[in-house]
Amino acid sequence: MVYALMLWQASPDDVVREMERLQRNFGFLNSGLWVAWLILVVYVLLMVGRERKLKREIAGLKAMLEDKPRG
Amino acid sequence: MRDKMLYIAGALALILLARDIYLFTGFPEEVNQGVIFKIIFFHVPMAITALTCATVAFAASILFLVTKNFQFDALAVAVTEVGLAFLAGNLITGSIWGRVAWGIWWAWDARLTSALVCWLLYAGYLMLRNAIEEPTQRATFAAVFSIFAFLDVPIVVFSIKWWRTQHPAPVFWGGGSMPHDWAAVFGWQVLAMMLVGVVFTALRLRQEQFQREIDSLRRMAHAL
Repeated sequence: MVYALMLWQASPDDVVREMERLQRNFGFLNSGLWVAWLILVVYVLLMVGRERKLKREIAGLKAMLEDKPRG
Repeated sequence: MRDKMLYIAGALALILLARDIYLFTGFPEEVNQGVIFKIIFFHVPMAITALTCATVAFAASILFLVTKNFQFDALAVAVTEVGLAFLAGNLITGSIWGRVAWGIWWAWDARLTSALVCWLLYAGYLMLRNAIEEPTQRATFAAVFSIFAFLDVPIVVFSIKWWRTQHPAPVFWGGGSMPHDWAAVFGWQVLAMMLVGVVFTALRLRQEQFQREIDSLRRMAHAL
């Protein structure tokens, strides 16, 4: 009811301005949610990369210990 | 078996997050702030998860100093790193929200500044760990630093009660309220973020085990 009254009193310029404001707000919300997801995804990718590196290092050290003659 | 549990927990968290996004996009706009208010469904759960991680790191650091058990040191570093990622998400989503609500990206008020200091302290904790080679010394210094860094956490939480800030009072314990369906989705979203935090921590803990294995293999290689 309040919105209906506001629309009744608003000029076309006001309506356009309000629509632009809503669109801008939605753009900010959208970018906020993307950033939140992106941080989590980047962190997962970093962890996957680090785990691969650690596994490679373990395999390399094990191979080196097997090859090395015991003194 | 443990890996399977982790995959299930991760999948469950993703399903919950996707479901919550679907639900809150269908909610009507908030009267004063409009659609941007819905960023609360990411901003606050990320803060709650980050500060829970800081609390766990604090407890694990005390337990390490008392018991000298390296499992607690591994837990402390794992939760600190995960908490840092969530706190970064909280700071960035908060900045975006501030740009719309206040017209500025950042304000040097007590809440925002103490949260940034908290992030810097925990980033410093990780840098300190990288700077010390000897494992026992590294774990001891890091535990003391983590306990010191935790002093900032109550300041972050209560800053909006203690000082007049640009940041608004909390919705749930500051006299505000949410419609029941909003509060329910918010609760599920907190649970989903916590679940993501638990999965990340478990994955990070596994890497600490790998690191310990590498340390012991290196010692064996030196001994030969």
